[in-house]
Amino acid sequence: MPKFTSERVDDLAAKLLIGLSPEENQMVLDEFSIIDENLGKVEDFPNIKKVEPMTHCLDNFTCTLREDKIEASIPIEDALKNCDSVEGREIEVPKVVGGEN
Amino acid sequence: MDKTIEELHELLKTKQITSKELIVESLKKSHEVQEAYNAFVTILEEAEETTITDNLLSGIPFGIKDNYSTKDILSTGSSNTLKDYVPFFNATAVQKLIDAGAVPVNKTVLDEFGMGGTGTTGHTGIVKNPWDPTRMTAGSSAGSACAVAAGVYPYALGSDTGDSIRKPAAYCGIVGYKPTYGMISRYGLFPFASSLDHCGVLTRSVTDAAIVVDTMKGIDEHDMTSWDSSHIHLYENRNKEVKNMKLCYIKELCDIEFYENPTEELKMHLENFKEKLELCKNLGMEVEEVSVNQKLLDTLPSVYVAISCAEATSNMSNLTGIIFGPRGEGKNVTEMMMDHRTKGFSPLIKRRFIIGSYILQKENQERYFKNAGRVRRLLVDTWKKLYESYDAVILPVGSGPAKHLDGSKDILTKDTAALEEHLQIGNFGGFPSITIPDGFINGLPVALNITGNCYEDEKILSIAHALEQAMPYKNQIAKEVR
Repeated sequence: MPKFTSERVDDLAAKLLIGLSPEENQMVLDEFSIIDENLGKVEDFPNIKKVEPMTHCLDNFTCTLREDKIEASIPIEDALKNCDSVEGREIEVPKVVGGEN
Repeated sequence: MDKTIEELHELLKTKQITSKELIVESLKKSHEVQEAYNAFVTILEEAEETTITDNLLSGIPFGIKDNYSTKDILSTGSSNTLKDYVPFFNATAVQKLIDAGAVPVNKTVLDEFGMGGTGTTGHTGIVKNPWDPTRMTAGSSAGSACAVAAGVYPYALGSDTGDSIRKPAAYCGIVGYKPTYGMISRYGLFPFASSLDHCGVLTRSVTDAAIVVDTMKGIDEHDMTSWDSSHIHLYENRNKEVKNMKLCYIKELCDIEFYENPTEELKMHLENFKEKLELCKNLGMEVEEVSVNQKLLDTLPSVYVAISCAEATSNMSNLTGIIFGPRGEGKNVTEMMMDHRTKGFSPLIKRRFIIGSYILQKENQERYFKNAGRVRRLLVDTWKKLYESYDAVILPVGSGPAKHLDGSKDILTKDTAALEEHLQIGNFGGFPSITIPDGFINGLPVALNITGNCYEDEKILSIAHALEQAMPYKNQIAKEVR
């Protein structure tokens, strides 16, 4: 398995749209090394691969689909209230198609 | 505001005090606590009195953790990425309290988005412990714990993904209760790790916790994980007979011989806990020591970080600063989002997102994400097995009283003991779990926790209530001891 390196940390940070200082990069590696060591030990637990990973805490959880029904959506004014840059009833952003990027 | 909800209700009903007087007192106290301990993001000066009804909560002030959406009130998650965010709706739990006539008077500081356990990572600064300002409150419900302990009001809302209600309650000498997963709707609560997130409350007594959660709970079509709890009446049934109930505690967590170089505080904490086990026996309960696989317990902190970081990475990808939040600078949308997230997130959050993202990479899922899920199941199955023989698991909270602020880093270290993190099992399994104060060490409060099987909230509250009645720590207000 490829090692979690400083370059890999920066690569993931870029994909997550997060900038990291060199100190923050090192802190990721330091914390992850403990997780790696601990979860590495799990590989040695007897029959661990036969255990179904738990993804939800209630055993009896059921996903029920509701009937489709038309409900009023929120007013556009409310939706835009927390946006810093608005033009009329739309969110304003730099040109995406045909722009610099 | 140092009284219980029942006492305040009686005074309001008999017109010895008014809702307005309580609000004025609570706001005044809020400013004092803000000055001394930095517990609030927002103080709601315009809070208005409500009509006093038969509802026990009517007219009484309360606090709301700042990761609950509150209509027309700043709701930041204690993050710079949402420092100006004002929701246009109330979280269901908040709306239920408002409908009952309760009066929100402030929004409390948390560790950014609930992703910390120290009370030191909120965007408005460190929350100090009202018993000793050089110590932490723990987190993430730091401001709520501080304010309730300091007597600003009888209760404040919290949320709990690992131990974020129950640990700060312990450090601040109050009660912290997280009901069974989904009993309280999470609609409007900022998500951290959806399979672990619970709503709950911090109070100064078990009875107050029962009253508040009775009002907050209920099925909600906006939260598909909520369920119908109309048959559960916590306040009415908190006095159930506890005689002959069976409790167990975990040898590997409670026996001092399992710790290399234990501190004096740890020794005193565990001795105090053992004394409380004797108290349980005096109340007619059976108490037995059980043994749990130490290797499982040792992996607990890493399993929690792996699962919670992976879920958080996904949940918080919508924080871009484009449709809400402060707009970042840049020549194009990508640069704007990058600027917003880089400047907005604290180092702790960034670190956890990257670890979560790495864990979710296809080539890493088996070793990290799936193995963490497998250990989660083994731990939950272990606890479920215990519940076949015992009514509840009783354990000490943490390794002693509140830690010093200068030692807080919130970094997972190799010596992170399972004792510090075992409350996370309550989140892994969705178990109802309550922390109550059980004594003092060097003038600072310590606590024990009672965790039971899913849907058995009435039972664990009855055990906590009986024990609370037998100890002198009910409804205590923090007094600075140094």
